[in-house]
Amino acid sequence: MDMKTRVAGEVQVVDLTGRFDTNTVPPLAAWLEQVTSVPGAHVLVNLANTTFVDSTALATLVQALKRCQQVKGELFLCGMRRPVYMIFELTRLDKAFNIFVDEEHAMQAFAN
Amino acid sequence: MLVALLSSQYARFSALAEAWLAQGATAFGICQDERPLVYWPAGHRLAKPSMVVPIMSGEKELGDLRVAGLSGVVYEQRLRADAMLIGHMLGLESELQLMTADLVTSQDQQLALYRLTQTMRDHVTVEETLKAVVSEAVRMVRSQIGYAMFVPASAQDPQLVQQPANKLAEDQLWRLYWQGQASEHELNINDAGSEFAPSGIKNLLHVPIWVRGAVMAGLGLVNHSGGFGAPDIKLARAIADQASAQIERMLLYQEMFDQAKLRTEMELARRVQLDLLPRILPVVQGLDIYANSRPAYQVGGDFFDFIQAEGRPFIFSAGDVTGKGLSAALLMTMTRSALHSKAQFMPYPTPEAVMRQSNEDLYNDFTRVGVFATVFVGQYEPGSQKLLYANAGHAPVIYRPHDGEPVLLRADSTAIGILPVNPSRNQVLRMAPNDLLIVATDGFSDVRDPSEDLFGIDRLMELVDRLHAGTAREIAAGMFEEADRFGHGRQQDDDQTLIVIKGAAS
Repeated sequence: MDMKTRVAGEVQVVDLTGRFDTNTVPPLAAWLEQVTSVPGAHVLVNLANTTFVDSTALATLVQALKRCQQVKGELFLCGMRRPVYMIFELTRLDKAFNIFVDEEHAMQAFAN
Repeated sequence: MLVALLSSQYARFSALAEAWLAQGATAFGICQDERPLVYWPAGHRLAKPSMVVPIMSGEKELGDLRVAGLSGVVYEQRLRADAMLIGHMLGLESELQLMTADLVTSQDQQLALYRLTQTMRDHVTVEETLKAVVSEAVRMVRSQIGYAMFVPASAQDPQLVQQPANKLAEDQLWRLYWQGQASEHELNINDAGSEFAPSGIKNLLHVPIWVRGAVMAGLGLVNHSGGFGAPDIKLARAIADQASAQIERMLLYQEMFDQAKLRTEMELARRVQLDLLPRILPVVQGLDIYANSRPAYQVGGDFFDFIQAEGRPFIFSAGDVTGKGLSAALLMTMTRSALHSKAQFMPYPTPEAVMRQSNEDLYNDFTRVGVFATVFVGQYEPGSQKLLYANAGHAPVIYRPHDGEPVLLRADSTAIGILPVNPSRNQVLRMAPNDLLIVATDGFSDVRDPSEDLFGIDRLMELVDRLHAGTAREIAAGMFEEADRFGHGRQQDDDQTLIVIKGAAS
């Protein structure tokens, strides 16, 4: 997995490429812990180039989501490919997260 | 020196004196600082010598030869030749003494190095080893102060020891270490300038220590009378080599220890997991049931459970707690126990109620440690041909009616531990003869082949369709077999757990 972080306005963005699983989670978990602890944090995880997520990866995202909610921030996901979205659908995580088709839509949602 | 030579070579000096007396001299003697050391014949004090010739060793005058009763150029020349010979002998004697002293020192050092290797074998921590190295180095090289440090490749803290303790400023010593690390050579400062003066450092020798092909440690000696010479550097290097070998040995030991610890933890996790799984398959009228779980090397948090009691409905659960290893095994135990007790003791334990109550029990703890558990709970009244279930985020779950295509059953709520209140709802499935329900864990769908291709949900559905005619046990065996075949014997990444329930004639 390749992970690139950037800042777009007030939003902390991370682009994940490749497999996102137990073996590749630690750097993302560390980054998420940092950015989601700031009060009112706006965090976007862009999964446009992610090919696979396992349960540890999902747990990392859930943990970040909860932390974000505690500091009254928002964590959005965007750009999921079909197989990845299916995992969210199957496990009903699509109900727990705000998921957007692409970064543009997610950014608009942050703006509102 | 002259006295020592006289006593060891007395007979030869005596012969020399005899020769002079035979030539007509009235007396012959050797003096040092105007005091006679020896003279012939006895009793003659050589108060008025006729010839005096200095005995020189290099540039230094060590004494003189005196003769009375003879004079003249020829005699003086001969006396001068005698004095030169004695001077030369003295030079050789002094060299011999130095060589002997060197030999003794080197023997001492060899002995000390041997002792150092022996004592270091008893130390099992880096700190103890560093202390032993410093203590021996200070003693052997005869310096006032010594220090040694080690910077582990992992994220552990670097270590620094000094003897005597806290004599020197640590940041200064670390600067020397990094200097040594960059240059990869020893640092010999024989005239410490103003930088070191406030710490009381007059001279200093820092030797980098190589560990596994890189400079990871250092040995320093401070204040040696007259500065550190070539033999001191050589000796310090020998000590550093010993330290290097010992640190490498210890790292190896530590790694073996850590590996053994990890193996034990994995073994323990596996035992926790396997011991809690039901050992006997339940017998339920109208159902053919089979279940099995294969833990991965890095045990995950899979489980399955059956709750059967007289006068109560048959309940089963299967789930997967996120994470790996002992922590996942412990959280799995918690989840399984919460579900089990609800199913066993609640007045009306519908799947929905079991799930909601368990989520309430576990939500806070799960949030604190950042995990969740996907859970499937099913309930069956014998003979009813209807299965009630609730699915909290669990996948894959496949249902194949006896007269239709396999379908993937979506979860009806998020996993346990995600939301404070779990919105599970009871769902109903027909369980007529040959209707088939398979509750698997992602260890199946996530199996990868050597080219990293995923087994995936679609293949799993096709497989279920192909195997559906068999008994529950046969279907499970076929699924495990296919997962192994697809993975080409590759080590399992995750636990693989399976409950197969097939409607049977009641």
